[in-house]
Amino acid sequence: MFAGLKERLQAARARIGSTIGTVIATPAPAADNAAVPPTRQPAAEPAQEPAQPGSPAPVTLADKFRTFIIDRELIISEKELADVLSELEMTLIESDVALPVTDAIMAHVKKNLVGKHRKIGQSVDNLVVTTLRGALLDVLGREFDLLSYIRNHERPVKILFTGVNGTGKTTTVAKVGSFLKKQGLSVVIGAGDTYRAGAIEQIEVHAERIGIKIIQHQQGADPSAVLFDTVQYATAHKMDVVLADTAGRFHTKANLMSQLDKIRRVMKPDLVIYVDEAVAGNDAVVRAAEFDRTVGADAIVLTKADMDSRGGAAISIAHTIGKPLVFLGTGQAYDDIVPFSPKAVVDELLGDA
Amino acid sequence: MEQIDQRELLALEQYLKQYGQQAEIFASQLELLENGRMEALAAIEALKGLQESGDGTVLLQVGGGASVRAKILDPQNVLINIGADVIVERPGSEAVGFLEGRITEMEASEKKVAETLDRLRAQMNEIAKRIEMGYQQAVSAEQAGIPPSRPAKEADEE
Repeated sequence: MFAGLKERLQAARARIGSTIGTVIATPAPAADNAAVPPTRQPAAEPAQEPAQPGSPAPVTLADKFRTFIIDRELIISEKELADVLSELEMTLIESDVALPVTDAIMAHVKKNLVGKHRKIGQSVDNLVVTTLRGALLDVLGREFDLLSYIRNHERPVKILFTGVNGTGKTTTVAKVGSFLKKQGLSVVIGAGDTYRAGAIEQIEVHAERIGIKIIQHQQGADPSAVLFDTVQYATAHKMDVVLADTAGRFHTKANLMSQLDKIRRVMKPDLVIYVDEAVAGNDAVVRAAEFDRTVGADAIVLTKADMDSRGGAAISIAHTIGKPLVFLGTGQAYDDIVPFSPKAVVDELLGDA
Repeated sequence: MEQIDQRELLALEQYLKQYGQQAEIFASQLELLENGRMEALAAIEALKGLQESGDGTVLLQVGGGASVRAKILDPQNVLINIGADVIVERPGSEAVGFLEGRITEMEASEKKVAETLDRLRAQMNEIAKRIEMGYQQAVSAEQAGIPPSRPAKEADEE
């Protein structure tokens, strides 16, 4: 999963580390010393540094853009890192990380590395990894624990799945159902995709295979009615979760969007989950933002993450629409769904290859 | 020979249909990747041709089999979408390198999708064989005047 992004980030990590390493290894040259104000002498010559309590030396622009080793600390200038930071920026964009997200990551990295006072002897790699980790965790957002949400919420918890066509929504409903059932929760599925030919049979087969009750009407029936019945069934049988499948739709299709509005009014979902595929890259991010703007979404599931080498959508989507990523689909089997953990993803991306 | 009851046959038919739908999605994804790869290969060929063309004159196809001679203003530099809808200007050789990298990525993705598709097709073959076996049993039973086998649960309930 995200092998390409991992490889690129590892390379960027090595390059940044190597650049900082070079800065440390280079002794303060005489020319540099000459340019340094008298109050900022290298630590190697402490006797020559007159103490001036109460009158701190003014920090000039020249100070900011130089690299000094002072009192066992280091200032890394923006100039020193310009090339590697530019490479990191390109790396992120080439991995389909959305531009605002790339900007946010770069801002974090610059803030943490440039001008950083670092004790000599501390691992450079550690500094770089900590910075990259912080930047990625910042954009990946909070972890959304669906199980905690369900356990702390009035039952039945009604979850509505929406998204565009052909991204694996129905399969995701089955996978989430299987996941929740294994956690000891009782689940009922509403076959709300009454539009696509074969969709009801498809979800019916899934439900039968994972042993979950399904509520269905005929093809062409009103999906709001199907999902209303599903909620009624869940309430009557004191079930924990309602998973509502719906037909895939683009946000530009007015009739299908008004149908979704009706579903929301009738079923009153607790959570609206937007499903898209990780392999769509930046398109998935743009679509999620449009969907959120028009109908709203509370969380996101990205399918086919196992086939996505770039990882751009997974990195960008939560930051772009401000909603958490809840699951990643990682294969064809019912168990191939992973609760999204920002920490685990960052560990995977920055961990030793 | 193991008996296949009617209910199992129906379920198998549903599974086959479901796998068929999944296979269709993966096949179209494979086609998209293949098209993307071919497009990138064609772009590399065109860029290399531009570098070698000297004065930057090319034939520009305008559709319907018609072409015009066109002069490229800056044949040494290429504007390329590097991802996330960001377009940057790069020297021709770098752009070719970038496209080659993308081709490698697409080949890796194609391999994964093709493997998944193969697995699905193998499963579909297995299911199809079992369905065929079930039909043959049903035909043989009909010819022998034996009523078709019912689900085990129903038989137990009698």
